[in-house]
Amino acid sequence: MKSNALRINDNDNVAIAAEVIKQGDPVVVNGELVCKTTEDIEPGHKVALFPIANGEIVFRYGEPIVQVIRDISQGEWVHVHNTRPVPGDLQE
Amino acid sequence: MEFLGYRRNDGTFGVRNHILVVSSVSCADGVVEAVGRSLPEVMTVTGAFGCGYDRVGFRVVTGLINNPNVGAVLAIGLGCESLKSEVLAGSARNKPAEALVVQRDGGSTATTAKSVAIATRFLEELRKQEREPAPVSELVVGLECGGSDAFSGMTANPAVGIAADCYVGEGATVILGETTEMIGTAHILKRRGASPEMGEKIEQLVNGQERRVREVLGERAGMVIAPGNIDGGLSSITEKSLGCITKAGSTPINEVVSYAECPSQRGLVIMDTPGYDIASMSGFAAGGAQLIIFTTGRGSTAGFPAVPVVKVASNSPMYHKMPGDMDINAGSIVDDGRTVDEVGREIFNLSIKVASGQTTCAEINRSAPFGYMRGIMF
Repeated sequence: MKSNALRINDNDNVAIAAEVIKQGDPVVVNGELVCKTTEDIEPGHKVALFPIANGEIVFRYGEPIVQVIRDISQGEWVHVHNTRPVPGDLQE
Repeated sequence: MEFLGYRRNDGTFGVRNHILVVSSVSCADGVVEAVGRSLPEVMTVTGAFGCGYDRVGFRVVTGLINNPNVGAVLAIGLGCESLKSEVLAGSARNKPAEALVVQRDGGSTATTAKSVAIATRFLEELRKQEREPAPVSELVVGLECGGSDAFSGMTANPAVGIAADCYVGEGATVILGETTEMIGTAHILKRRGASPEMGEKIEQLVNGQERRVREVLGERAGMVIAPGNIDGGLSSITEKSLGCITKAGSTPINEVVSYAECPSQRGLVIMDTPGYDIASMSGFAAGGAQLIIFTTGRGSTAGFPAVPVVKVASNSPMYHKMPGDMDINAGSIVDDGRTVDEVGREIFNLSIKVASGQTTCAEINRSAPFGYMRGIMF
């Protein structure tokens, strides 16, 4: 199955859409179907590979990049509307 | 692992054998350019600010003169400037170097004729040298990104990170620059320091740069810290900057050097360079880098004088739109199902071939802009 999203590090709980992934379409990472999206995901944007609970950290490149500010379900778009900078990081 | 390079008397190896014709002040640029028109084989470098006191410029130009890729040097000055061409030529170690002065040597026409005669003699001498096998550990490789896009942090930069790990694994030196692009990752880079002291040093460097950017730019600091990232899908400055520093792979950081300073350690090194690509590459070249790997999403065409620059495209549409400018398509990770690892090894293997003499797109295009950091530059 052709991949449509990239996961850089095995510890990452998000993948990055390589193309537009329409709502309900499969997210395929390394040729394997991980989940289906709950909304459209634009290229370069993040999709949750697992449910991420309020307060948990989003990992990309194996590093913490943002903190979730409400429960995020598997297949959901992850961006500034449902996250904030990790406490202690730059807040801009 | 080995490449084929030019052995220098000081034990270093060049991946090219260029004759550098360089002005000590912009007023002599006309003569340098005339030499370049007569002898396209020489590498001309113009734009030095030798008229006033320019400590950084001196370090950059003398660093470039002493880069192992330079086999011989002809420095040309006007005469009344403070940075004399004789001083530039005198800085050359272990290689033939001569100086001319336009005001002393008969004006522009006569100085050009004398320059062409000297450069022709250098060309004949350098043609006698042959490449010989050298360990990859002798290479110093600069990492640059410019004209980035949303795919840079997904494809090209992580792939270059694999190549960087391969180089470090061979015992080579890899330089990560562009301090401004590290803002937001000081705490992460700190952990990468080879020792706690090195970690502290890295943290101070990155936090200091952030402070300077905010002091100078105030509310406009976001222009250089996080230009237009949210639309592209980046949710925090940390996420943006991680996309840049992923070029440096996963090995410990052994040293922090200042702009245009030669590293004393092997392995991964940070150099304090600005985000302006050409000035950053000047720092690498003056610091002894014989090779630069450069990722781009929008499509930068920039090479550099005397140092081959391998261009890695982050996305296939740009790679196909600018076919004569890009050496490798990391967009194949998205479009052809190739892995980051595969493309990273391709970058490593290709850049070793480049070190052994294969020309890059930027070399074929004769794209070799020169410029360096002056005053405040982020």
